Amino acid sequence: MTEKKKPADIPLYSDEDMVEVHADLNHEKHPPTIGFLHAPLVFVFLFGCLIFFCSVQLAETTNKFQLHPPAEKKNQLSPEELVAQKLKRKIDSGEKVFAQNCASCHQLNGEGIPNQFPPLAGSEWVTSDPGLITNIILKGLKGKIIVKGETWGSVPSQAMVAVNINDRQIANVTTYVRQAWGNSASEITEKQVASFRSQSSGQTDQWIGDQLKELFPSGIAD
Amino acid sequence: MNNIFKFSFGILSTLAFAWLAFVVGANLQYGDLSPESQILEDDGSRPPDAELFPKDMSGIAKQGAEEYLSLGCVTCHTQQVRLFTKKGPNGNRVIEAGIDIERGWGKRASMARDYVLQDHVMLGNTRVGPDLANFGMNENDQNWLHQHLFEPQSLVPDSICPPSPFLYEVSDQPKDGTISVLPPVGSSGDENKTRYIIPSIRANRIVAYLRALKQDYELPESPFVETDEKTIETNTTVIEGIPDWVNYPASPKALADISEQMSAGKEVYTKIGPGGGGCVTCHQPTGLGVPLAFPPLAASDWVKGDKDRLIKISLFGLMGEIEVNGVNYNGVMTAPGIPPGSLTDQQIADVLTFVRNSWGNSASAVSPAEVAEIRDSIKDRAPMQMWTAAELSSHSKQVQ
Amino acid sequence: MKETPEQVIDRSAKIVVSFFVASAGLWLLAAALLAYVAAAKLTDPFFLSSYEFFTYGKIKIAQANAFVYGWGGNSIFAVTLWIIARLSQVEIRGRILLLFSGVIWNMAISFGLLGILDGHMNSHEMLEMPTIVWPALFISYAIFAFLALVIHRSRKNPNTIAPQWFILASLIWFPALFLIAWNGLEINPARGTLPSVLSLWFGQSLIWLWLTPMALGAAYYIIPSIIGKAIDKYYLAIFGFWCIAALAPWSVVHHLEGGPVPMWIPAVGTVMSIAMIFPIAVASTNFHATAFRDIGKVWNNLPLRFVIFGTISYTLSSYIGVIFSLPDVAKLTQFSIINEFHFNQRVYGFFSMIIFGMVYHMLPKITGKEIGKSAKSFHFWTSAFGVLILLLAYLIGGLTHGVLAQQTSLDWSSSVITSVQPYFKITKYAFVILGLSQLVFVINVWKVIFPNPFAALFESDIEKKEKTA
Repeated sequence: MTEKKKPADIPLYSDEDMVEVHADLNHEKHPPTIGFLHAPLVFVFLFGCLIFFCSVQLAETTNKFQLHPPAEKKNQLSPEELVAQKLKRKIDSGEKVFAQNCASCHQLNGEGIPNQFPPLAGSEWVTSDPGLITNIILKGLKGKIIVKGETWGSVPSQAMVAVNINDRQIANVTTYVRQAWGNSASEITEKQVASFRSQSSGQTDQWIGDQLKELFPSGIAD
Repeated sequence: MNNIFKFSFGILSTLAFAWLAFVVGANLQYGDLSPESQILEDDGSRPPDAELFPKDMSGIAKQGAEEYLSLGCVTCHTQQVRLFTKKGPNGNRVIEAGIDIERGWGKRASMARDYVLQDHVMLGNTRVGPDLANFGMNENDQNWLHQHLFEPQSLVPDSICPPSPFLYEVSDQPKDGTISVLPPVGSSGDENKTRYIIPSIRANRIVAYLRALKQDYELPESPFVETDEKTIETNTTVIEGIPDWVNYPASPKALADISEQMSAGKEVYTKIGPGGGGCVTCHQPTGLGVPLAFPPLAASDWVKGDKDRLIKISLFGLMGEIEVNGVNYNGVMTAPGIPPGSLTDQQIADVLTFVRNSWGNSASAVSPAEVAEIRDSIKDRAPMQMWTAAELSSHSKQVQ
Repeated sequence: MKETPEQVIDRSAKIVVSFFVASAGLWLLAAALLAYVAAAKLTDPFFLSSYEFFTYGKIKIAQANAFVYGWGGNSIFAVTLWIIARLSQVEIRGRILLLFSGVIWNMAISFGLLGILDGHMNSHEMLEMPTIVWPALFISYAIFAFLALVIHRSRKNPNTIAPQWFILASLIWFPALFLIAWNGLEINPARGTLPSVLSLWFGQSLIWLWLTPMALGAAYYIIPSIIGKAIDKYYLAIFGFWCIAALAPWSVVHHLEGGPVPMWIPAVGTVMSIAMIFPIAVASTNFHATAFRDIGKVWNNLPLRFVIFGTISYTLSSYIGVIFSLPDVAKLTQFSIINEFHFNQRVYGFFSMIIFGMVYHMLPKITGKEIGKSAKSFHFWTSAFGVLILLLAYLIGGLTHGVLAQQTSLDWSSSVITSVQPYFKITKYAFVILGLSQLVFVINVWKVIFPNPFAALFESDIEKKEKTA
């Protein structure tokens, strides 16, 4: 019986024994017993299953190893929807520009303040020629004007100063103003703003209402 | 296993596989990322003349990054808004707003592209403090940042962020360029007094860096994510998000007596539309105004000083050039209220008491009787005629 | 009386191993002090706040570095040399060179930590020490690794066994990792978040491929050696070893879940982390099946008790680590102080406990002096108690932190962090207990190495003479 003693039960007295016994264990061809065969097979099987399932999950959750995260497919939108989406982005951005730069006088509802600041809602100055509103923002406006039948600007303090924002912001904010509060005028593009800016580069002071009316006669009917 | 060379080859090749994936592979995949425009055309091309993002930081902000690194801020602060995905309608995964975005730490998930221009990318791995990836978008006020850096507890009572007094020169008296720091909330005795600090160049660098931390642009791969937040109504609104520290003025005891006026005043201050003052649109929830456009109310002598002058402005508005805290402003302020000048004596008294005792201001309360008195004394003034700074100073002399 | 071959080896190891153990002890104390200061600063932000030298961020990072490189590094030097020499049945040679490399290593870390505290920190995880000390660290480790490999090559029995595989792997992986990180972070640095991926990979691999195999190797050596029986189910050990080699360097990147890197990186990390349950099961089976054949010995033999504490801790911490790497759990706890739990569990509950056992096992053999039994016992119980308190506080605190952070209606400072605050307090007291226990350990060790102060002076003189010779 002593010959059949399992190697694992041989007492170790020194490091030398330890190396020898373990080296023997390593080299030993194990007899095909139940305990030996099944445990590693079960291990390898489970291991394989796990890696398989995880890999399937992996490919799905990582957008197939792409650099960028999965996004909703854009080509589901029709061309008209795309245009509408672009316009919506523009107006959203314009709304922010308006809130920051304009709303303190013209108010968030575009109604202005009676006797102080003219309304933008329903104002012919806003909804007519694109050049009119763009130029007012570019250079400012002073002197008397008539808006919705009322006279404004009789006091010098009510003059509007130029708003120092870039072309894209002007395009966005004018488009917003022209389509908000019941206004429904055309979109103004960045290119249009740039051309107005270069045309009006000679103007150093604020515009006067009549001056603008001459420049854009299609705009305001008296 | 017994041949050390074969053994080494084996264990090093397992390491090399991982290295090939995470270092070489990742480098090949996105080592050449560069700034990109916010939105691409439908065919994937970049729109002409589009602005490219991210932008490079200013020089002082980059120096600030070095300071931020050397102080070990990265131990407690991450700089990444995580990406969360969910199953989309078609079974594919789509980006969703995660808790980081709901917490207001950003408008979209951070992407690898956001970091390509940074010298030190400090993503961090623990959030004992809040995430800072978009700190500059939310906290843009220099004074607030300096106060927080000097002593976080003076602004956020429960903060466990360690103070950094070694970055500042401290004095007991206000001088040119000093920033006042209130005592920590709940302190008493000798500690309970306002300090005046002058930031060192290092503090300025850090603040510049913190302000430069923002991912406030969209990227083609990461658009802004919608949250379930209610849309803001345009007509009558109370702007939420007034930081808590607004409610911690210098002396809690004095505040108790005026608490009613304070809460009523806060409502007048923040309400836009009939019955409100709408002050918040220009002077901001932080009382700091907008640089170069609208003057601050916090630490402003116009607010803390002469009560009469303040009431006059509240009744008729103010225009023309004025100087506030050493900075010149040239703008127009209509009398508060919709329509302008419609606030009652009580409302004006409340809102003035509120602004005089918020954001670190500490001044006497304003009573409705005082407002009535001033209103009576200038009853001959034409309606809506705004004051100018010169007129105000001469007017007060005449009265004397 | 003739010396046995083992006594000859022990005598050759005396000065070198004593030097490394003694300096490891000092670093342990330094790390304990820094850990206490860091914990105290979390509970009271005004503590030492007016000194720029001691900002929380610096202290925390210096503590991790002192712990891993100072205590971990020195004790790895000592234990590696002794086990390699014992299993090869060869005397330690190149002792002066080894001492020399040890001195460089310790000086480099001292300068590195001072550099961190002085504000010259790097942004790379576990490589925060200023770049200027990296060459010194690398050279001194290379000398040590080379000499250890030379000893191994001249072994009497050509066969190698499990402890040797693990220890040699740890010996070779560290310089390889270091070179990769050095190249990718400083020599050819990439832009954007690539260095962040690399430094995270390095920092986590350092624990998985340097400290872990070292401690596993020590456990594979000491358990059969004290029990006196071969490892049970030894044929699984080789499977376990290659699984760790193949999976561990992949699994560590799961910490980047949701981060600004390609999504496959954390996902691959998660898959490999889950696969790690197999090598963990293997090591656990090997150790515990062997040790529990003789439970009385585990209880009565103090070094073995330390080691079994460590192996149980390894099993638990690794399984907990697997759970926390699952994406849905990771999103919850990813940035919480659960990270502290993982770090301390691994380097304290597992690595350090095994090294304590190993030191108590080998030091009496080397110096021929016994360590006081009650002192050892005191050390064990205070460490075990302190580690349990510390880890429970970090675990529960981390879960609280993670779960409350999900409640977006809760204010960050006044609600989320305030709720975690009590756990910070507990960790502070846990670090006091641990500091006390480590002080006892260092006194135990120093008393054996330097029997009295005069002898200590005398011995260090001999060392100096040997160095100059």
